This record gives sequence, C-alpha cells and structure tokens, in this order.
Amino acid sequence: MSSFIALPKGVTEEAFAKAIREYRELLGEDRVRTDSASLQSYLKIMIPETEELHKPSAAMYPRTVKEIQAIVAIANKYKTPLWTVSTGKNMGYGSAAPATRGQIVLDLKTMKKIVHVDEELGYCLVEPGVTYYDLQQYFRKHKMNLWVDVPAPSAMASPVGNTADRGVGYTPYGEHFLVSCGMEVVLANGDVVRTGTGGVQNSTSWQSYKWGYGPYVDGIFTQSNYGIITKLGVWLLKGPPPGGYMPFLMKFPKVEMLADIVKTFMPLRLAQIIPNACVVVNAGWEAAGYFTYDKNGRGTNRSTFFKGKGSLPPKVFQEIMDKYKVGAWNFYAALYGSPEQVALNWKYVSGAFKAKFGKNVEIFTEKEAKDDPIFEYRKQLMMGGSTLQEFGLYNWRGGGGSMWFAPVAAARPSECDKQMRIATEILNKHGFDYVSEFIVGWREMHHIIDLLYDRTQPDEMHKAYRCFDELLKVFTRNGYGTYRTNTAFMEKAANTYGPEMRKIHRALKQALDPNNILAPGKSGINLDIPL
Amino acid sequence: MMNVNRRTFFKSFLSAGAALAATGMAATPRQAEAASREQIRGVCLYVPSLGKAGDFVEMMNRNAPGSWTVHPLNGSLTDHYFTTRTLYEEARGNANTFVGVVDPATFAIVHEAIVDCGGCFHYITYEDRNRVTFSAQLSEEV
Repeated sequence: MSSFIALPKGVTEEAFAKAIREYRELLGEDRVRTDSASLQSYLKIMIPETEELHKPSAAMYPRTVKEIQAIVAIANKYKTPLWTVSTGKNMGYGSAAPATRGQIVLDLKTMKKIVHVDEELGYCLVEPGVTYYDLQQYFRKHKMNLWVDVPAPSAMASPVGNTADRGVGYTPYGEHFLVSCGMEVVLANGDVVRTGTGGVQNSTSWQSYKWGYGPYVDGIFTQSNYGIITKLGVWLLKGPPPGGYMPFLMKFPKVEMLADIVKTFMPLRLAQIIPNACVVVNAGWEAAGYFTYDKNGRGTNRSTFFKGKGSLPPKVFQEIMDKYKVGAWNFYAALYGSPEQVALNWKYVSGAFKAKFGKNVEIFTEKEAKDDPIFEYRKQLMMGGSTLQEFGLYNWRGGGGSMWFAPVAAARPSECDKQMRIATEILNKHGFDYVSEFIVGWREMHHIIDLLYDRTQPDEMHKAYRCFDELLKVFTRNGYGTYRTNTAFMEKAANTYGPEMRKIHRALKQALDPNNILAPGKSGINLDIPL
Repeated sequence: MMNVNRRTFFKSFLSAGAALAATGMAATPRQAEAASREQIRGVCLYVPSLGKAGDFVEMMNRNAPGSWTVHPLNGSLTDHYFTTRTLYEEARGNANTFVGVVDPATFAIVHEAIVDCGGCFHYITYEDRNRVTFSAQLSEEV
C-alpha cells in the first residue's frame, strides 16, 4: 500500500519518495505536505467528476523565486508534475484541484509581497499570493486614491491568478489581461524571464509600457502551462472625485427584451458614455442573491418555490421574480468622472432607455435602491470593492455543484438572444435552470452561465456532465468559442479551437517544457496525451 | 426546540468532531470513538437557521463535554469570510477543535477562509443538499 494518497502518472513510489525528500531538504518538512488532511483542501471541487481523478500527491509552499527555480530542477529530475495555484480560488472552473491525478500543487499563497505601488501612474507589481483585498488594504493604509478592478470573489482571489486565467471584472478596467503590464515568469528550465521592458537592465518602464520589443509573449503565459508567473504588473484606476461615481440598475420584465436591451446600451458603451464592464443579469442569478432565512430558520431558495423534478417552469420563474421584485433582465452599469460629466451622461443613458422602453423599464440609482444588498454588491464590484455576495448562488439549488459555462458572444442583439435561447433549451432539457449574466466587454459579451446542481446525487452529477458536454458541442457548432473552462472539460474545449491551434500549443510546450512538468492538462496542453 | 433528527445529527457530528480533533486523524469517516472528551476546547460556527446558541452549547456539552464556544455567522457572506478568519486565528493556541454547521454558500466561503489561514480539514460532509458539516484542523500557517 502506498504511503502517498496519490502518485503522478508514470512515477514510481520510490522515485516519488526521493523527490519528496529533496523537496523537503529545500523547503523544510512543513512546506512540503503529503498528508491527506493538508491535501483535502485542494479537493473541494464543484465539477461533476470524482475527487479521485483530481487528487494531488503533495502540496508545496515556496516563498521565493529562487526556491521555485530549485523546485523545477527537482521536478525535471523526477518528472513530478507541478500544478500551480496562486490563491486557488478558481471557483466554477475547477477550484484548486489539479487537472489530472497525482500532480503536486505548487501553492503560491505564501508569496505575498506587494512589491511596489505607484500612485502617480496608477500601477502595482505584486506576487501571486497577494489578494485584491490585500491591495485595497494597502491603498487605505497609505491613503492612496486608487481602485483595482476585481472579479466576483474579490476578497480572496489574486490579481496574478485571475489575470493568468484571463478573468474579468466590472470597472472600466474589467478586462484583466488587457490592464496587466509586465510579468516575471520562471520557466521549466529554471530561467527567469521578465516580459515587456522588464528585460532591460534597470528598466524604469516595466509596469508602464506593455509591449517591449520583438514578439509580445505575455499571452502565452495565460491559460497555459509554459511557465510559473511570480510577479505581475497591474494597472490601477484613479478613484473619481466625490460625486463622480454613479452606479445604477435597470429592470426589464420580459425575457424577450434582451435584444433590445443590448441594442440600447451598446452605442453608449462604444461611445464610452458607459465605460465599465457592465452586466446584464437574468432573473435566476439575481434571485439567487436574495437567499434569506424565514423566521423558522428555513432557507428561501429554489425549493421554496418548486418541489418538482426538472427545470423551473416559466410560471414559477415569474413567481420568483414577483417575490423578489427582480427583472427578467437586470442591467447594472455605472458612470464615472467629474460630477458634472456624470450628471450629463446620466441624461443620455436614462433618456435612451426611457425612449426605448417607456414604462417597461424600472430605473434605480443609489437613492431608490436604498440598502438593497444586491444593489450594494454590484455597486462594490463596479468600484473595485470587496464583496463575496455572489457565493449566494450556491444556496439556490444546494449540494455544492457548480460549473461555469462561459461562451463568448459578439455584442450584437441577435447573437446574445440566440445564445440565451440555445442555452435555456439545453439546460432545461437536462433538468437545470438557466442562471446567467452577460458581462459586457469592448465588443463582446462574456456569457457566464452557472450550471448549478447537487453533487451529493450521482444522477445529477451525470446529468450535469452531459449537459455541459452538450452545451459545449452545440455552442461550438453555432460558431461560439468558450473563453475559459473547468478542469473536467479543458481537453474538449481545446479541441473546439481546431487542430492547427492545438499543434501550436503543443509545439510551444515541447520547446519550453519538454518533460511536461508544468501543469499537464491545463487548457488541454499535455504531452502525455497524443493529439 | 430541536427535533429528534437534529439531535441525532448533532450527537454523531460532535462526537466525531471531538474524537478526530483529539486523535489528529485525517479525513476519516465520522465513526471514530470518543476520546479524551474532557480535553475539548472547541469552537463551533453555525448559521442561525440551524438552531439557537443555547441549543448548540447544550448539545455539545452533552455529547462532547468540554469547553465550547459557539458563534453564529451573521451578516453578509463577505462578513462570514472575515469573521471566520478572525475566529480561526483566535482559536489557534486557545482551542483544539474547530467545527461548523453551515449552508453551502457559507461553506464555500468558510472553507476558503480556513484554507487562507493555513488550515485544513478532518472532514467535510454534505448532510443534505442544504447543510454541510465540517471539522477543521487547527494547524499553524505555512
């Protein structure tokens, strides 16, 4: 019987034990864990597969770049694969568990330095263990009027991890990779490369000029396994003056109105009158945020309204909308600038929607919303605040299952409408609800669909897997790519982008990591699996 | 007033949690024999829908005697994260058992709060789709 809870593929127990001894000589006993209690934290997955498939063999906690260089040397020697996480909060996409069984989790939460914050130009340089909340605290402590764009699990997530996975947020800097500037990366051969202008000795513009000279390489270190990012530059927003931030909500009563909603706001978005990554949230997602307990302590969730099997019938959805006073669609956006600019832009925005929808739109600013918790949550997200309200989704159906299906739609009314209809049909067919939000980028929408299911029920697990699989197939057939996916579907998602792209990904892997030691399976890139 | 099922649930839950904490066993099914109950210095988090503080103290002392403190997780989910972090940090050195009875959304947050403090888990169990119990190891941060 093995003394380890899992072993990397193709590595004998004896070789693995030797590797662990060497890792411990480097980091000490305490920072190399193989006991099941320590490793259980990495097994809190929400995808419809068993934990066994994603069980790590060990977890390591380096503190310096030098230690990581020494780790990759040992990893090459014993062929022990390393699954890197920054803070491991990739909720909805596989959490912190490795894509394949037996990998060692290289947990960088112990690298927590905020190396530099430049208030004058609005940027920072951080290590992987720094969270968005850490940065916010830093700004507060040093009285800096700076905002950092955050994803929904803001307090716990890390700018390095989220940017490396090409996550998005909700302010005008919502596209995180776009507002990153300069990386430090440890390669599989131990080299440390600084991208952009970082390679210039004593560079003074590493975090202010992205492109450097020659081919731009930062992109190959995102959603990939070609290196370990150990530092990242992030651009920050200057906070607007008092009265210069105006979040608002517009509620629309009918599902069929989506196309007209998109048609109305996209010109405002393109003109930068609405400058932020605004969101269009459906009734299911919105209602899930209002989970409350009644006076008898009973949770109010989906089962309060529907005890039957299968997806929620439209009549019940309407009942839920009435109960929580949510729209079929709920559009959250914000205006930024001087108070005068904001007041003027508000006339354009409110005027455009009133002209289009008349009495079919309800408009809420902070004044009308008062202390509504969901409005407050959206307000925080659109100003780079810390809120974890989105986790309320997990109470809606219960059972701890969640997968985010995340296709991209060109920001045209017809495309968004079509995606909504296809997704609803497939989800309902498998007995699940359409729970979604569209995050509006520059010319596209990240259509985030939370496939919520009960992991404690094997039949729901199977259904959820089949449903996700069908979503992926049908969306691909209709010409829609997914922007990100979970560890159960990385191989399949990679296939949807065609054999030529897969060959490029593989060629890069062979060149940069011939021993396949860095996160095999990430985004479907794995030299152990033939194309 | 708790119903009978809930009493049974807490009885098994607390016995197991206490035993695991005392023996240092890892991720073992919740059937361990009770051990050294008098040594228990426990902290229990709960969401208020699952019972009142007085009920929790009474039940815990009946099934796993020791010194127990219970903490309702009130406020927003964001508050739950920071409250859990604070309680976990405080429990280090002062307690030997850290358990909880929470809903799935709260669990998702409490789990991360404990992990972010360097903690790990003896066990995590979905009692049903709306209720999760756990026992966390009070380990030092790496």
